[in-house]
Amino acid sequence: MLRAVLRDLRAHPGRVSMTLVAIVLGVGFVVATWVVSDSAAATIVSGQTRADFAVIVRTKDPAPLASIARAEGVVFGHSAVVKSDGKLGTGYFPEMAGTDWDASDRFHLIGGRGPEKAGEVALEERTAKDAGHGVGSSVRLLRQDGTSETVTVVGIYTYRTAAADEPMPVVAYDEATALRLAGGSFAWVELFGADPDAIAAQAKAKGFEDVKTRQQIADERAKEASQEAQIARNFLLVFAGVALMVGMFVIANTFTMLVAQRTRYFALLRAVGAKRRQVRRAILAEAAVIGLIGATVGAALGVGLGWVAMTLLRSTGETVIFAVSPLAILVGYLVGLVVTVVAAYGSARRGAAVPPVAALGTDYALPRRSLVIRTVLGFLALGGGTTMVLLTSHTDLSDWQRVVGMAGALLGCVGLLLLAPLLASAVLIPLSRVVSQRGSVVARVAVRNSIRDPRRTAATASALMIGLALVTAFATVGESLSDTFSRVVKADIRAETLVVRGVNGPTQDDIVPKVPGDATAVYHGWGEVDGRDRSITVVRGNGKGLARELPRGGALVREQFGKKVGDTVTVMGKTLRINGVYVDESFLYNGVVVDDPALLGEHSYLDGVYVADADRRALDAAFAERPDIIVMDREQLIMEFIGPLQLALGIVYALLGAAVLIAVFGVVNTLALSVLERTREIGVFRAVGASRGLVRRAIRRESVVIATYGGLLGVGIGVLLGGVMQHVILSQPIFSMAVPLPVVAGALGGMVVVGVLAALWPARRAARTDVLAAIATT
Amino acid sequence: MTTKKAAARAVELTKIYGEGDARVAALDCVDVQFYQGELTAIMGPSGSGKSTLMHCVAGLDKATAGRTWIGDTELTKLGDDALTALRRDRVGFVFQAFNLLPTLTAWENIVLPLDLAGKRVDRAFADTIVNAVGLGDRLKHRPSQLSGGQQQRVACARALITRPDVIFADEPTGALDSQSSKELLDFLRRSVDELGQTVVMVTHDPTAASYADRIIKLADGRVL
Repeated sequence: MLRAVLRDLRAHPGRVSMTLVAIVLGVGFVVATWVVSDSAAATIVSGQTRADFAVIVRTKDPAPLASIARAEGVVFGHSAVVKSDGKLGTGYFPEMAGTDWDASDRFHLIGGRGPEKAGEVALEERTAKDAGHGVGSSVRLLRQDGTSETVTVVGIYTYRTAAADEPMPVVAYDEATALRLAGGSFAWVELFGADPDAIAAQAKAKGFEDVKTRQQIADERAKEASQEAQIARNFLLVFAGVALMVGMFVIANTFTMLVAQRTRYFALLRAVGAKRRQVRRAILAEAAVIGLIGATVGAALGVGLGWVAMTLLRSTGETVIFAVSPLAILVGYLVGLVVTVVAAYGSARRGAAVPPVAALGTDYALPRRSLVIRTVLGFLALGGGTTMVLLTSHTDLSDWQRVVGMAGALLGCVGLLLLAPLLASAVLIPLSRVVSQRGSVVARVAVRNSIRDPRRTAATASALMIGLALVTAFATVGESLSDTFSRVVKADIRAETLVVRGVNGPTQDDIVPKVPGDATAVYHGWGEVDGRDRSITVVRGNGKGLARELPRGGALVREQFGKKVGDTVTVMGKTLRINGVYVDESFLYNGVVVDDPALLGEHSYLDGVYVADADRRALDAAFAERPDIIVMDREQLIMEFIGPLQLALGIVYALLGAAVLIAVFGVVNTLALSVLERTREIGVFRAVGASRGLVRRAIRRESVVIATYGGLLGVGIGVLLGGVMQHVILSQPIFSMAVPLPVVAGALGGMVVVGVLAALWPARRAARTDVLAAIATT
Repeated sequence: MTTKKAAARAVELTKIYGEGDARVAALDCVDVQFYQGELTAIMGPSGSGKSTLMHCVAGLDKATAGRTWIGDTELTKLGDDALTALRRDRVGFVFQAFNLLPTLTAWENIVLPLDLAGKRVDRAFADTIVNAVGLGDRLKHRPSQLSGGQQQRVACARALITRPDVIFADEPTGALDSQSSKELLDFLRRSVDELGQTVVMVTHDPTAASYADRIIKLADGRVL
């Protein structure tokens, strides 16, 4: 029995390979994600650890330790590398960026040698690349006091940390220079020797504190690393889950079609005496076989993809470990097998229910499954989800309300997925009416074909929808965040205002006198306000560059402070009249805002200098010799904060891209199998005068209709989901979300392209339909 | 000798399937003419080559050797696009089954060749045909909502709508009951008598053949 079914499968390799590819892609991506997260975890856990030292002691003076074992003091001091554009590089903390070169495993030389005397340094690899320096080049380093020196790069290194909280120094000096930089003291001392425990005991006996052996440090580090790895894995698995879900849609849909197309064959088996149960079992067994083959190839593909991803990472200079856990393979098999068999179950039951007489007729169609239960469940989920979102739509949310709101949004999405066939009819039938009245034959045939089986169209479009909805949702959140931030900044600062800031944010206020023109300096700090420690913002200058209300000799307070205009507030012992109350979010203002420079607290820092009617060239010239200071306009200031967000979103898009790719393949699959199903009518179409090109166009148009429908649905759901997400995250009203127009336009335009590309092969196949074979009556 | 003009004809038409031992000559040097304004029946037992003959003359299949014409156009010289246009504009087809596109209504199926050619529908002529096939009230129905006989009549109407040089009907009554068969054959007869159409019908049913003006009998790929 099984043999008969499998033979039939083998006789139609086209159909089987379509199913297989769907499984392979779905399984492949899940396994690849798993492998990447395994590798990421392994890299984080094992990566860059050192085992050369025995004990680490936190002390400034290593001298007494020299009697116990070989001791190597480690220095951390201020250093910063000036890039070729005359400004500092970012991505490190200048305070801890300089260290002393030693022969330990802290440094792994990539090129050149270690620094031996003053005037020589070694640079950390990525920083060197970023600043455009190599061995032999001259590099300008900025000292803490603002002066700079030019030294020679003699080596490039990568750094290996021991403790989890060890900073990553980017400049290594010879020890004498480093010690001078660090004010003569060591951050810690590493002791070398054969017996860590003995050395540790001796160090403790000498009264040293913070003594840790190599093992203790490794344990602490491993604990921290495994937590980090877990976070990375969870993050990646979310995306694997999405890809899996999309893959499930595609596999289930393909299998349903595969069984539907072999109705006559099953009827024949029944006619010659196969029991229903036998047919059902045979179909399930066949699904298991296909699932197994697909899972095997998919797992191999996944491991391969994971390896490629890791190799690409390695080529960027990252030290990575490629790890494949048995679990990754197991998950792949489970996914391939379970999904295929589950997807096949419904089809198997219906396939087995085919009456034997269907073998005789030429046009027996499987009865359509009723959509009633699915529709009812869909409305329930959508209604429930909407209710949950509406109940939590106010803007002062508690944590559990946020969870309810988010869960509601997801439940609503599930509801829409369940309602997708109904929605497909609701959207495409009116479209088909319009097209019938004015469209060409091609359009008419294409649109009507797209709604012949709403369930199939819905399943195909849903796969696309999931990926696009998530892309759009994240884009909406990102756009809303960007939009909110840029609105806040624009409400604070006038458009023509130029901003002078530290490259790494807060800076010293020695720059203020150097700023030409109408400069307003804004400081942030802490101090006693009405008896409690609160944020204080000090505004110095005439405020012409700012778009905000100024303290005018008094103070401004935030609305939540609970006082009104005319009240008084005591700031660091000085009583001030409240001249204004501000309500909205502010980039500049934080806490109580005053303009008396005497109220600068001890830990205050300069946030920025805002210059009205400034001459950009004069400003740039004034700070040409200050690598730590950067001049920017308002847009650049906004981009400085939004840029990293865009980068993060880019990674999310790339990860979701795989899900979209699988869904695109689903479109190809649906079309190709539909074309096979429609061989006869395509033959008639050709016989009565449709050219090959016309047949191709009809299939292409159908593909575009399905893809665009999926795109519209995905984008629509994505924007709403994004609205709820930004509401939950930012406590903004739901419908205040910013629609990410470029992403929306890109997604819809992309879907048209996807539609055209997905139709390439099926359309060619349809156009090649042999008229005679198609209209032959047997 | 009467001056009957041929609407379609074939000269030394040969069609060979397979090679070597499996080589079968479905048509063996057949000369045949189908005259304008006549209903010609092609008869013969299964495997006699009657369908192959029709397929080759109608431009659905390529002959191995020999030449075929529709009117003055030699088919054997045409490429796929030209053949497609010829089928669309100058030939009508009625097959045994699966004649209609399931997503189009009866009316849309009927005017499909005109739609494909981008031509306007001659309402008066279309109404005449629709009335003749007696489908006036079913034009908005999909094929799945029509009986087998009605579907075949829609197919006939579609074949007529372009006023083709010749209509080829391949076992048009093969899947119909006797009442529907009779209606369909009556209709084909009337389209010849009243509209001056040329019809070539492949059949193995003597009753169907009795409606013809002329019967061409085939056996083993040769005209008897």
